Amino acid sequence: MRHYSEGSAASNGLVSCTECACLSPNELTRCPRCHAKLTSRQAYSLQLTLALLTTALLLFIPANLLPMMVTEKLGQVEYNTILGGIILLWKEGSHPIAVVVFVASVIVPILKFIILYYLCFCSLNPGAISAKTRTNLYRLTELIGRWSMVDIFVVAVLVALIQLDHLLNVQPGNGTIAFAGVVILTMFSAKAFDPRILWDKPLTRDENTRARN
Amino acid sequence: MGKLQHIACEHCDLLLDAPQLQEGESAHCPRCGHKISRLRKQLMPQLLAYSITGLILLFLSGSFSLMTINLGGNISEITLWQSALNLYFDQYKALSLVVFVLIVVVPAVVVSLVLFFIMMIKFDARPKMLSNVLRLIFGLLPWAMAEVFLVGVLVSLVKLVTISQMELGWSFWAYGLFCLCYAKVLSLLDRYQLWSWLTHGVRYAPL
Repeated sequence: MRHYSEGSAASNGLVSCTECACLSPNELTRCPRCHAKLTSRQAYSLQLTLALLTTALLLFIPANLLPMMVTEKLGQVEYNTILGGIILLWKEGSHPIAVVVFVASVIVPILKFIILYYLCFCSLNPGAISAKTRTNLYRLTELIGRWSMVDIFVVAVLVALIQLDHLLNVQPGNGTIAFAGVVILTMFSAKAFDPRILWDKPLTRDENTRARN
Repeated sequence: MGKLQHIACEHCDLLLDAPQLQEGESAHCPRCGHKISRLRKQLMPQLLAYSITGLILLFLSGSFSLMTINLGGNISEITLWQSALNLYFDQYKALSLVVFVLIVVVPAVVVSLVLFFIMMIKFDARPKMLSNVLRLIFGLLPWAMAEVFLVGVLVSLVKLVTISQMELGWSFWAYGLFCLCYAKVLSLLDRYQLWSWLTHGVRYAPL
């Protein structure tokens, strides 16, 4: 339960369809225009976001510890994790590419975790940051989330391309599955989060107990 | 149903008067700054042109080689399909399908559906299922990762260029151009405009 923000459609007894943006009175359960389900705020938005986010955070551990790529060079087998691959790129002198991969597969997921956890926390305890900034942070996570997939695509291309038997051979590692899971789950988690609750006021503890009784 | 009188901001739920936009104008939420709607000039012909071009380019990028590696006389070459589907034979079936869906299927489906939608509106045929088409288009948007794949190809190119001779094939350039068309389609898609075409028909469409 929460206090809908001032001037919002919800506080005026209206509900906006998330699919077609058509406004309807909030007694309706389905949008008259596109027949999508109508809810003023996505049901269990916080719970769903947190559940998906925490699953992704747990998967982030094997994603970084397990190898992404197994390279066989003249009989020598080499296992590369995400960070290992980036360090290798840096040592070989391709600094700009190393930075691109570092940002896409290390900074972006961590930033997403921090922002989404912070936003969930904020929607219960309005923080020091204004609602507008928080909404901008949310938009940022939606914008950058997809770019973490770069590393998976690199592995896919390298595995497909380099099949030169014993001379040079590349196989995917188990880390790829964990990492793809992290990216996909965080994207679902950002989708499950309803930014409109950032503008509402949560109930105080007294109001909460009164609502429960 | 009449034209929308009021709307609510998608991101902060602020109740607003529906903006009456002229071509070339855009409307932003006064409270959270969300871009609510943007009416481009010549929206319908542009969408038509870019989605047809995009489909042709995507078809072309499937027909040639993506990149070739030459390592001391050992030559290996891949196509766009192989770059995703070769993982399938390395016991990574699910991952291979995910990659294939993200880089080929979703972008192709989105562009085809946009084309289909515009054609239906142009011929003023608005069957009931067209609203599902529109919902599907907007639902799929975050899952098209064509441009991310392009960066992935470039990164793998740089990884290999020190140890071997690399060559980019026609498919790479076709796919790159497809990404440009796709980005253009994406920037043109406007939720309010497309839904108003669907409810009011082509009379309100600037063409």
